Amino acid sequence: MRVGFPHFGNVYIPVKAMTRRLGAADGEVIIPPPITQRTLDLGVKYSPQEACLPYKLTLGSLIEACELGADTLIQARGTGICRLGYYAKGQEQMLQDLGYNAHFLTLDVSHNKFISIMRLIRDMSNNIPWREIIPAFFFGIGKLFALDKIEKVVQKVRAVEVEKGTASRIYREAINAVDEATESKEVKEITKEYIHKVIQVPKDPVADPLKVGIVGEIYVVIEPFANMDIEVELGKLGIEVERTMTLSRWIKYSLFLNYLGVDEWREVHKLAGPYIDHDIGGDGWESVGEKVLYAHEGFDGVIHLAPFTCMPEIVAENIMTSTKEDIPVLAVTCDEQQSKQGMLTHLEAFVDLIGFRRRKREHGRRV
Amino acid sequence: MVTVGIPRALLYYQYYPMWKVFLEKLGAEVVVSPPTNKSILNSGVTRGVQDTCLPVKVFFGHIIALVGKCDLMFVPAVTSLGKKSYNCSKLIGLPNMARALIPESPPLLAPEINCEKGRYNLYRNIYAVGRYFTSNPFKLKKAVEEGWASNLDYWNKMSDEKITPLQAIDGKLSTDVNASSFTVALIGHPYIIYDEYVSHRLISRLQKMEVKVVTPEMVSQEELDAATRRLVGVPHWLFEPEIIGAGGYYLETGVDGIIIVAAFGCGPDSMMLSIVEHRARESEIPLLPLSLDEHSSEGGLVTRLEAFLDMVKRRKRVCV
Repeated sequence: MRVGFPHFGNVYIPVKAMTRRLGAADGEVIIPPPITQRTLDLGVKYSPQEACLPYKLTLGSLIEACELGADTLIQARGTGICRLGYYAKGQEQMLQDLGYNAHFLTLDVSHNKFISIMRLIRDMSNNIPWREIIPAFFFGIGKLFALDKIEKVVQKVRAVEVEKGTASRIYREAINAVDEATESKEVKEITKEYIHKVIQVPKDPVADPLKVGIVGEIYVVIEPFANMDIEVELGKLGIEVERTMTLSRWIKYSLFLNYLGVDEWREVHKLAGPYIDHDIGGDGWESVGEKVLYAHEGFDGVIHLAPFTCMPEIVAENIMTSTKEDIPVLAVTCDEQQSKQGMLTHLEAFVDLIGFRRRKREHGRRV
Repeated sequence: MVTVGIPRALLYYQYYPMWKVFLEKLGAEVVVSPPTNKSILNSGVTRGVQDTCLPVKVFFGHIIALVGKCDLMFVPAVTSLGKKSYNCSKLIGLPNMARALIPESPPLLAPEINCEKGRYNLYRNIYAVGRYFTSNPFKLKKAVEEGWASNLDYWNKMSDEKITPLQAIDGKLSTDVNASSFTVALIGHPYIIYDEYVSHRLISRLQKMEVKVVTPEMVSQEELDAATRRLVGVPHWLFEPEIIGAGGYYLETGVDGIIIVAAFGCGPDSMMLSIVEHRARESEIPLLPLSLDEHSSEGGLVTRLEAFLDMVKRRKRVCV
């Protein structure tokens, strides 16, 4: 069995770690090449025209995995409202039409997530006992937690560093170092070391950066290729970015704490209450609530990322435009037609706008 | 007497008889917005953000058209009507969007119909609506039962007599289609194919071209469900039978051509249509996908229709 899976942020790191830990033979787990323009082109070519960007990117990524010889593919499945439930159906048919005889294993991401993941691992693991699987699993997700911890610091430093791009470079090094690590202890040391390195980056001492919150659909928020590195670009413009949605947070709550009755979104849902009081699928409800949350926390602006034709995010966008919390929202629609220059122009205009607003608030007039 | 407005858009075409009987039995007067026209479309388009799909924009236009003509607006959020099959997000968030975008609208009667949450939740939501009109639960129960019965009649009438919702609701007579030599299946959401302004009078245009038009509503629910199951297994969306099921059904029973009408940017359709297209390619039945938005021109549509029908005609001559 040669297992392939689509790229999604740093997901490949825990997968790699687990397979190495469980002693999988070479080529048993295929890590597709990182998402590039080619991935997108492949995905666009073989997807329905109006499918959403995550569908196209994951299809492209799966095709690239098949090219490397994968015969078993992993794809998410949900019984929710959005198109996610259809991904595996559509992509399986398309891959068959292309002549790849791949078998799909689906991962339920809306109900019983923990059991679903464990079942998936067991299906692929050739009767490896649970007492080996579980530590390997925790070792793998430990790497994700480490990376997200480093990234939180990087997001703050990017805005105020003197030489632009330093923090991002260190973060890239950190990804490689964490990826190479073979022991949990080593991961912890690397995390400490790199956080220290990032903090040591020379910073502008007087800078008081504008703060922007990022909300939106989880795939385009987390996968840098899908949002054209929007966080790095904002950092170059001197903007501090905060985003609640990370893979480690998703894992922490969806796989473990939700079972204990902890709802990570309770506060956000409550804040969204006056505008929308029930789930509309995807991350639409959370987007509305997070906008309100960022407004309460005194952020300067919100950037709303959504794939083109994403149903829940369109509902959220419609509602967001008329909430009474006064905070500017920039809606960025991600699809294969987007251009980086176009997005940069939007970002610059938005940054000017929130800068004016802050100066107006601080000085009582427009300076 | 309280007047309740029902926008003539989206779920109107599927559930209007039920809503009408239900509200009238509770002692309300029902007002329906006029058929879509240019001013309704334009007023709706200016409200929503640009990525919103055409039917939802049209819906906003109908709400605006009803402002001032009624005391309450009936906009249910139909989330789920069966196990693990949901509606589109935009239909679930409809009352919320309407409240946010049309602040001048009268208060919305917006029960959430979600069978996933269980019987009790459903009853409570319906009861919350009934409380506007009556405090007598038996009267409410009777109204619900009669409403549901009238909707079942409506669906049966459409599938038995092979008529469209417009004919069933308004009693419009169909033009003579006996002379037609070939049959074309028109697949799409009822709120697109039966909205004459949005679809540019597609049905009557086809009938004028001497084509017998069949639509999803002319097939009984059981057959649609069965066809869906054969094609994709367990449905994921509530309206899957009316697109995939109808597409599969007509491909199996054999029609001369299929026209699929979808709104531009419709998320579920983008997935479902590719499955129907795939199936049509296998069974070698010609298929014309049409995508509609607020900019679509009548001339372009007619040209494509004529070319498609010419192709279907020639194909039939050659094959027979």
